[in-house]
Amino acid sequence: MLSVLIWVPLVGVVLIGCLPQAVSASRIRQIALILTTAVLVWTGILISQFDASLSGLQFQEALPWVDTLGLSYQLGMDGLALPLVGMSSLLIWLSIYSSDANVTRPRLYYCLMLILAAGVAGAFLAQNLLLFFLFYEVELVPLYLIIAIWGGARRGYAAMKFLIYTAVSGILILAAFFGLALLSGTFSFDYDVVKQQTLPLGTQMVLLVVLLIGFGIKIPIVPLHTWLPDTHVEAPTPISVLLAGVLLKLGTYGLLRFGLGLFPEAWQVLAPVLAVLAVVNVLYGSFVAIAQTDMKKIVAYSSVGHMGYILLAIAVASPLSIAGAIAQMVSHGLISGLLFFLVGVVYAKTGTRDVTVLRGLLNPERGLPLIGTLMVAAAMASAGIPGMVGFVAEFIIYRSSILAFPVPTLLCMIGTALTAVYFLNLINRVFFGRLSDPLSNLPAIYWKDRIPSIVILALVITLGLQPNWMLRWSERTSLALGSLATEHSTTSLAPLMRDGLIEIFRTPSVMPAHLSPHLPTL
Amino acid sequence: MVATSRPTVHPLSTLVTRLETGGALLPETPDNLLEVVGVLKSYGIVLDAYWQNLTYIANHQFLVLFPVFKYFNGEVTLPKLLRHLGHDRINYEFAEYCMKSMFWHGGGGLDTYLDSPEFLTRARAAIQAKLQPNLPMRGINRLFPDFLPEQVRVMAYYSALGQFWRVMSHMFLELSDLYDQGKIRAIADVVALIQQRLVDAASLPVTYAVTIHGQGYDIIPEAAGLTFLADTAVPYIEAVFLRSFPFFGTVSYNAQAHQISAHQKDFNYGALFADPLPIGGAGIPPTLLMQDMSHFIPDYLHAFYMNSSRGEDDLRVKICVSFQKSMFCVTTAAILGTLPHPLDTAELPQQQANRAYIESWVDRLAESRLLSVQS
Repeated sequence: MLSVLIWVPLVGVVLIGCLPQAVSASRIRQIALILTTAVLVWTGILISQFDASLSGLQFQEALPWVDTLGLSYQLGMDGLALPLVGMSSLLIWLSIYSSDANVTRPRLYYCLMLILAAGVAGAFLAQNLLLFFLFYEVELVPLYLIIAIWGGARRGYAAMKFLIYTAVSGILILAAFFGLALLSGTFSFDYDVVKQQTLPLGTQMVLLVVLLIGFGIKIPIVPLHTWLPDTHVEAPTPISVLLAGVLLKLGTYGLLRFGLGLFPEAWQVLAPVLAVLAVVNVLYGSFVAIAQTDMKKIVAYSSVGHMGYILLAIAVASPLSIAGAIAQMVSHGLISGLLFFLVGVVYAKTGTRDVTVLRGLLNPERGLPLIGTLMVAAAMASAGIPGMVGFVAEFIIYRSSILAFPVPTLLCMIGTALTAVYFLNLINRVFFGRLSDPLSNLPAIYWKDRIPSIVILALVITLGLQPNWMLRWSERTSLALGSLATEHSTTSLAPLMRDGLIEIFRTPSVMPAHLSPHLPTL
Repeated sequence: MVATSRPTVHPLSTLVTRLETGGALLPETPDNLLEVVGVLKSYGIVLDAYWQNLTYIANHQFLVLFPVFKYFNGEVTLPKLLRHLGHDRINYEFAEYCMKSMFWHGGGGLDTYLDSPEFLTRARAAIQAKLQPNLPMRGINRLFPDFLPEQVRVMAYYSALGQFWRVMSHMFLELSDLYDQGKIRAIADVVALIQQRLVDAASLPVTYAVTIHGQGYDIIPEAAGLTFLADTAVPYIEAVFLRSFPFFGTVSYNAQAHQISAHQKDFNYGALFADPLPIGGAGIPPTLLMQDMSHFIPDYLHAFYMNSSRGEDDLRVKICVSFQKSMFCVTTAAILGTLPHPLDTAELPQQQANRAYIESWVDRLAESRLLSVQS
């Protein structure tokens, strides 16, 4: 069943590639939309069939491929992969929907988008380390080409920088995987097999640090982040959406799946370092965002900051924090996607993203009033206003990390406040005041421009009001991953909750025992 | 054409020269003509509703202190009430704002007359008749003897503006008819027609009388000598086109910073200065009028608007811009109609006097939307 998510886009690539040259761009876009709609529907069917009471992999598929290399076609979906697959299917559909109907070289563009969709799905579903690496690398190529061909003025520089950073990331990940296979003595890349092996703590530490740098480039962790703002600024809007919404999550997903999943003992040792890195990400990203004048750079640095919250949560590695990390991945994916869609509309209509030039776009008749309203809502969501999914995710993370890492948590909370600072500053400059004369004759705005943002905002609010609709899928997986860490913990931890996430919300016992009496009951 | 000894050195010499040669403040282009005539047609229809309501209030809501149904023109029915509450109606509030602006700024013979002992005598007679069966109101009138005469002054302004707009409404609809017949082909024709009709109506008497308990009371008799041009048109242009007031918008906040002149004569918040973008700048809310006019835009003007990039989305802004263009035509007619000397005079001192008069107007309009409508 899971192969559909990978192979339907790839069949689409072949189909579009075989189309005659005379076929119009809009027709090719329609074909790509139909295929990604099929993927989206299939994802919905998978979610409906998913048994949330199980922590292990479901819908597993296994086929031998290159046995001598240890490469096999093994797919599976658990509560960690499911929300990310669901979110990426939606964002890919919206990205294709919002792509320019008259894009140049449409066959190549939509083929690359479909390859990207297949690569992302494959990476989230792969249960073989080499297979994961293959899919992880596959998404690099279309991204590089799309940025290099359809990007902004400095697209060559940005694409090359992205390629170099991501290639280094891939090499480091591959090195860690090979090291694990070799040093464990199994010579297997099967996730379930290598997970059973125990390595000395020192070896674990070395491999984990290599993985951390590899995935840290993708997340990105400061100071490995410099490729991200350049790439965002030059990338077309749909790619910025996918970059922030989906591809950065491959980094945090990889850290959770392979870092915490394979090296839980070393994880406990590195956790305080991760928490410090999280704080650096949050504060650095926020302060630099405040100083930016390009709307896209503000959102890009906001992304750097918000990925820090995920880092903080996975540093804690408790069941509640893992749930928080997954929730924040979904939340950040939706909200950053929303923000990039909105910035894209502003840029498309005004021709600039410079906050010192833009002004008064909330003007009801000549401005972009609905886009401005959506931007205010997106900023509220990003700043963690209650009633939206951002609040749920950040609340769970802080709830789980405040006693484990109190100082980093408090510093991250400052980052949340700083989010409001740079987004309110952006909104105040761009949307309030009198519409400046050069902007008073903006082109018409159509529902096609608005629908992606409206759909995402509806989800952001729905999941904010009903967080359980998002959390229930990952509840058991969070417990399992959190248990993995606590079982290997060198500190004394309290018995883990076995009664589900809702109970976790109500009781303090998921925290270390010596701290749990101080945790307030909600 | 007038030949003066030396060309003007005014910073806006193009405009001054254009007026001196019989042109208008608005450039002569086919699009401007289409916009001006089209918007004046819808304005004429709206003004027709406005003047009828103002006249109804003046005549039938006289000293009604809580005129709940004043916008119903005497027809109070449930369907009409529901339409009113659903805002499916003419925004008569706009007409009242204009009346209040005239009342506040005064000017002309009407203002002088309303401060005269004769008016007070006539007003008190009407007040006595109206209060005859109303003991509480008579008591209040004794306690606050200036209150009800002031209300009568307001009623007089309702009536005067209604009379002014009745003439203007007919004029604009006539203009539209002539355009449809192909007899209006240029902005100059528009200005000429307006100027001619203003001159024709200049000496029309402005009067006001009410009937109370079957007996008529003249508040403004014909003998007061108030006339259309001097006592309603000129004060109207001054109050509504030019001055208005710094309220209803964000500008009013600047009063605390003393950014608003203490002298009413220095105000420039009128229709010719209004920002077409609905940001709540100042003055009488133009959006009310634009909303009313949007229901009566002729097809050719609607098609013209639809050709712009925003289509229906910014219809009111486009109507406002067109309306301001048309009002610059009316202002041109007013300027040319009130020149101290004939435009084609051959006397150099008279030419210089005319030039000084025109330059003073251009100076006054320099900060308005005048320059924005030149392109």
